[in-house]
Amino acid sequence: MRGLFSVLLLALVSAVSAVSSTGGRLLVVLEEHSEREKYGVFFGDLEARGFHLTIESPKSESLSLFKHGERAYDHTILLPGKSKGLGPALTANTLLDFMKKEGNILIALSSDHAIPTSIHSTLLELDIHIPSDKGALVVDHFNHDSNKAAEKHDVLLLPFPQALKPNVKNYFAGEGLIAVPQAVGQTLGNESPLLAPILRAPNTAYSYNPKDEADIVEDPFAVGSQLNLVSAMQAHNSARLTVVGSAEMLQNAWFAEKATLAGKAVKTANRDFAARLTEWTFKETGVVKVGKLIHYQDEGVSKKMNTSLAIPEHNPTIYRIKSDVNFQIEISEYSQDRLAPFLPAPGDHVQLEFSMLSPFHRLNLSPISQTANSTIFGVSFKTPDQHGIFNFRVNYRRPFLTSIEEKRQVTVRHFAHDEWPRSWQISGAWVWIGGIWVTVAGFVAFVAVWLYSAPTEKSVKKTQ
Amino acid sequence: MAAPASDTLLQQFTGRKTRGVLRFVILGLIAGAAVSSRLFSVIRFESIIHEFDPWFNFRATKYLVQNGFYSFWDWFDDRTWHPLGRVTGGTLYPGLMVTSGVIYHALRALTLPVDIRNICVLLAPGFSGLTAFATYLLTSEMVASPSAGLLAAAFMGITPGYISRSVAGSYDNEAIAIFLLVFTFFLWIKAVKNGSMFWGALTALFYGYMVSAWGGYVFITNLLPLHAFVLICMGRYSPRLYVSYTSWYALGTLASMQIPFVGFLPIRSSEHMSSLGVFGLIQIVGFVEYVRVQLPNKQFQTLLRALVFVIFVVAFGGLVVLTVSGTIAPWSGRFYSLWDTAYAKIHIPIIASVSEHQPTAWPAFFFDLSMMIWLFPAGVYMCFRSLTDEQVFIVIYSVLASYFAGVMVRLMLTLTPIVCVASAMAFSQILDTYLDAKIPEQGAKENGSSDPAKVAAAVLPDGLRSTRNPLVGIYSYASRLTVIGASTVYLMLFVLHCTWVTSNAYSSPSVVLASRLPDGSQHIIDDYREAYYWLRQNTPDNAKVMSWWDYGYQIGGMADRPTLVDNNTWNNTHIATVGKAMSSREEVSYPIMRQHEVDYVLVVFGGLLGYSGDDINKFLWMVRIAEGIWPEEVKERNFFTQRGEYRVDEEATPTMKNSLMYKMSYYNYNSLFPAGQATDRVRGVRLPAEGPQLSTIEEAFTSENWIIRIYKVKEPDNFGRDHQSATAFDKGHKKKRASKRKGPRVLRVE
Repeated sequence: MRGLFSVLLLALVSAVSAVSSTGGRLLVVLEEHSEREKYGVFFGDLEARGFHLTIESPKSESLSLFKHGERAYDHTILLPGKSKGLGPALTANTLLDFMKKEGNILIALSSDHAIPTSIHSTLLELDIHIPSDKGALVVDHFNHDSNKAAEKHDVLLLPFPQALKPNVKNYFAGEGLIAVPQAVGQTLGNESPLLAPILRAPNTAYSYNPKDEADIVEDPFAVGSQLNLVSAMQAHNSARLTVVGSAEMLQNAWFAEKATLAGKAVKTANRDFAARLTEWTFKETGVVKVGKLIHYQDEGVSKKMNTSLAIPEHNPTIYRIKSDVNFQIEISEYSQDRLAPFLPAPGDHVQLEFSMLSPFHRLNLSPISQTANSTIFGVSFKTPDQHGIFNFRVNYRRPFLTSIEEKRQVTVRHFAHDEWPRSWQISGAWVWIGGIWVTVAGFVAFVAVWLYSAPTEKSVKKTQ
Repeated sequence: MAAPASDTLLQQFTGRKTRGVLRFVILGLIAGAAVSSRLFSVIRFESIIHEFDPWFNFRATKYLVQNGFYSFWDWFDDRTWHPLGRVTGGTLYPGLMVTSGVIYHALRALTLPVDIRNICVLLAPGFSGLTAFATYLLTSEMVASPSAGLLAAAFMGITPGYISRSVAGSYDNEAIAIFLLVFTFFLWIKAVKNGSMFWGALTALFYGYMVSAWGGYVFITNLLPLHAFVLICMGRYSPRLYVSYTSWYALGTLASMQIPFVGFLPIRSSEHMSSLGVFGLIQIVGFVEYVRVQLPNKQFQTLLRALVFVIFVVAFGGLVVLTVSGTIAPWSGRFYSLWDTAYAKIHIPIIASVSEHQPTAWPAFFFDLSMMIWLFPAGVYMCFRSLTDEQVFIVIYSVLASYFAGVMVRLMLTLTPIVCVASAMAFSQILDTYLDAKIPEQGAKENGSSDPAKVAAAVLPDGLRSTRNPLVGIYSYASRLTVIGASTVYLMLFVLHCTWVTSNAYSSPSVVLASRLPDGSQHIIDDYREAYYWLRQNTPDNAKVMSWWDYGYQIGGMADRPTLVDNNTWNNTHIATVGKAMSSREEVSYPIMRQHEVDYVLVVFGGLLGYSGDDINKFLWMVRIAEGIWPEEVKERNFFTQRGEYRVDEEATPTMKNSLMYKMSYYNYNSLFPAGQATDRVRGVRLPAEGPQLSTIEEAFTSENWIIRIYKVKEPDNFGRDHQSATAFDKGHKKKRASKRKGPRVLRVE
């Protein structure tokens, strides 16, 4: 009995501690069951990382992203199929609802297959644009695989992507070249800060529809690095959506294939890249977690009584204006299978805002210590000379990292009546204090003189 | 005023004692009547705090009782005026709360634990008994006849003008302030009469208490100097006046400066300058009196002229310089509106928007004062007949208070005591004259005159006709009976009127509305409390509620949730911000609400029930106040149709229809009616067939009769879209792909 119980417990623990930080239930939507073999290595890699795969056809009756109003799966991969519709279980609204409940989606497109309308409108809603005509693909006359696409130039060979910006972490780095066959290019809207390109097409690439008989492409969908081969979207609740322009690059056929770039024989590293992509999309990398968050009034060295433990009351709800405050936040980053100390990219800082309507302080938090799986960032400052209801706010949003939005409301009060300096401590007040006592003494002296010199006769009475 | 004559008849020791006891019993009965007539609201409804401001006072009192005096003194309230907070301990008049706190602790010390709410509810009636007593004392100082004092006490006890602010549950500053006002005046009269430093100091003490209790203390601050000034001008300067005024001013000013909210105002603001000026003047007059005794007449005349001129120039110049340089604050807006009733309407909409700051309508005088409204001039006239120092005070008080009561409805309250005193003087004169059973003899010249008249005659020159005593006497019983009978009827009618007004007009808590069902039974409409309790029980403890400022105190008191603005209108900009959020389109309001961390929005809507005090009717004030700060973004004109009508129906302007307030009021209202039949019962109009749509907020709660509607502010869209398109998407309107790009390509930059 006990043994059985411990086995059960173990099973439970292992189920909970799946590789991904959010869970391992993965739904793969694949129309043709026969195509399953094509993605065998890809699926095998996922299962090896601890995901529990459910492969369903969009036509299946039992397919549903939700069960009893909750997510039935933690992640979804949508692979292209023949039919133009994805059925009632996968409408644009359901997909967005899935993401609203923090489910992650990886959408693979293919220029061979029609793109379902629900995917079209989902992407459109998220401000990711794809060519509207079927069959449009990305062509590059300089960076193609001259082995497989000597004529068509539609298999691109690209190095792993660099960091998006110098101060952004790169989760997609790797060695070798990625083959991107027959990709559907995407462009991203300029407004949304939630979108980020993962793999951009080289400067010489452009989008082209082979069905166009014309010799010259008049008005291409997009050209150069505006054209994305893989792009990402991370919602406010950190649900992730990745659009892979070419489903073929995930297939066995391209995972470790020989290719030729500009006459040189190379080997494609698609398997690595697919791993990087799914790791990121399914929240195995780029996930930051906030641990303890403390703030307290710094009462100075003298009051700490020489012990580092004598920290005053933690997280008080009320402070006074112009008092010294210490703030500390513990942040860790989930990488592959465990929590590790988080450090921002060089040149980047986690910042603390102390704000009421608008920030009164915006300070860089610096790492002050590290534990086994977290970094403690801290800063100390003086509360402003303004009473009100303030927020300690850490709002850290970077591309490819889950967002940190922590807010602690505190009250900053005015000086109490007994917190002002006493009158005699203010040298400017001595004149007035002197005045008071002179008046008092004068009055007493006057009364004394008056009484002393009172007339003796009773008749002199003051007239009323 | 036959009292002195009858006094001589009943001069025995026992007689005086009996009358003393009798007077005591009568005063006790009057106090009892005063208290019990204020209990209508408790009997009809329940022991509940009324209206708006009392809810704040109640909350502050609870804080005081729970946390002690010092933390009350330093109270920083983080649950109002979010996110600014309010230094409540330093911006309120603590007298009321401290009084209830003292009563609470005193009762506990006597092992009588009484709930603080009941103390707060019954404080005003309790103090009204004391007010009656103070009125008795004040009137007794004015005339010798004690019957006048008793009459005045009775009038004061039941007059609706005072009851309007002191029914049980009306836990407002005025509850104790009127007692303090009358009592301070009594002490002042006593001080002036006796020229005693003791009474002057007592006046200052109660003046200090008054300052701690009500902003209306400024009335005393100006009335006492004015009294002193008029006396000086009448040539009645005396050492008595000097002693009483200087001791009151010096001690009283010091006492008033102890209240943090008042602070240095007594020496900096223009409202207080008259008392300072008279203080200076009385020193000069005292000095001049002294010099006159020392100097021959001719030299004195020259000196006096030079002195007057120099002092006038110096004082006036100094005042102008200080005002211009900003050391002395110019008159505050509320004060301006006392002189020019149109001032507030143009310059300070926040003041004009308060109904109790409106000019008084004429019927209100009769409504509140009944027969005293015509007895009052008679009483004032009687004061003119024998113009003693204290009767001068009555004259000044009546003139000033009458004017102010005409300007602002709430100042009726300051008029009421003097009306009671003056009418009681007039009425007791009638009664004393006609109740005297003795038929006057021809020779008895003194009959029907009074002692003060003699005093006045001695002081004033002989020529004044009003000071000559006419020979008055009543010879026939018939005339006596007629007049006495008529007076009795009047008195009874007065009691009837007072009771009727109290029970019908002034005893409604306004938190709970009462209505009559067709069968005549009472039906209680309890939407306010329903909604506030919903907030209390269904929202997180620090959910911020945005509403118009009228409901701020109630939300704080009943729902215990932080509010953005409340009835303490100290920050006009913050109120205007709320006004802007209410009167703008959703896209404009949403960022404002997010910035202020608003979680819920509360509106009052009377359309279903025909409750006219709702937010749509107050809406123009919100627009006006917002326009005062953002004239470019909010324009009152846009809320009126082409023909200048304020409409909510099909014809309403687009600005009106798109405003958040309109949408929140009428959202889903159509669903109550058959298609196209939705009617607003307050405005009496048919509403558009298509109801308004909301995207940035969602309905959270609507009370039984739809009086209170609460909306929840949505979080920003998860995918970074604006709420309009997110709502459209959820409803199934998919975005159309732009088939042909227009204009140049927009490139993404990283």
